[in-house]
Amino acid sequence: MIIIASLTTTVAFIKYLIYFSIFFRFSSFGYTREVKLKTKPGAGFKQITKTKEKLAEKNEQILIKGIKAGDQKSFEVFFDRYFSKVYSLAFKFLGNAADAEDIVQEVFLLVYKKANTFKGRSQFSTWLYRITVNTALARLRQRKKEDKVFVEEYMPKFNNDGYHFVRPVVDWSQDVDKIVTNKQLLNIVKNTIDQLQPLDKAVVILSDFEERTNREIATALGLSVQAVKARLHRARLFLRGKLAVHLGHSPT
Amino acid sequence: MVKKMTSKRSRSKKVETCKQATSLIMDYLTGEMNSMTKRAFEEHLSFCPDCIAFLRTYKKTIQAVQSFFDTIPLKKKGFQQTLKRKLKKKIN
Repeated sequence: MIIIASLTTTVAFIKYLIYFSIFFRFSSFGYTREVKLKTKPGAGFKQITKTKEKLAEKNEQILIKGIKAGDQKSFEVFFDRYFSKVYSLAFKFLGNAADAEDIVQEVFLLVYKKANTFKGRSQFSTWLYRITVNTALARLRQRKKEDKVFVEEYMPKFNNDGYHFVRPVVDWSQDVDKIVTNKQLLNIVKNTIDQLQPLDKAVVILSDFEERTNREIATALGLSVQAVKARLHRARLFLRGKLAVHLGHSPT
Repeated sequence: MVKKMTSKRSRSKKVETCKQATSLIMDYLTGEMNSMTKRAFEEHLSFCPDCIAFLRTYKKTIQAVQSFFDTIPLKKKGFQQTLKRKLKKKIN
């Protein structure tokens, strides 16, 4: 009797389990889960990012309208948002806090006064970026030139047959950290960057620090892409030559 | 016009000497090189230890420049607010 009763209970329990699984499969809960699995991984995040970008853009447009109307609060919000970017870029160009501070003031004053000339063909941040680059570059050009550097001395040289003039070319890439301390290395780099022509220095900063594309750099500096590439390559060869000489090797 | 630009871009370049290889290093590192030129560049490297050494030291130079830029000190605390106050005075 007891055995029959327990068997009936077990069968009933299994029945309920089957019903429950069928209900779960076709209920909206189960359906939602299936839909979720069908969507691409990360699609939700993309949607959120897109919405955030749209909101930020709208926010930016409101700010620009405010600045154009001479609203100081909008200008303050804009200043807080972009201060760090403008300051660090100016610092890279000029190498000291006092000059960077001057550039920051000059740039934001220009933005405030000339906001009405912004036509909206590019993003406002791109406009600000161009103003910063050109203001810093103008300041760099005003600086008294130091002793003339003979760039050619540090460039690679080749024989008439096109092979390296001094062979073998030493691979000092692994030794550099052993021979000079990090501080010494950074000092060499700093001094060499300061010896570059202002426009070459600008190209190096925008490429190696800002990680801008050659096209973006060309637009910001009013150069052709080819000219940007040529200047960047020449500057790097000079930097490489300086490092090589400092480590006791030929630039070639 | 578009066709002309495309054909100019995809034109492969000779890499027979170290001078030619050196002039193409940047394109090689940024991947702005068509497959024919890339193959020729790598073929030159395969028998030229001088150019391998040159390429490695060129890359090391870029790294050194990037690490220099990373060490630029951050502004002092409160600096931003001071500057903002100065700017507001100038505007008014």
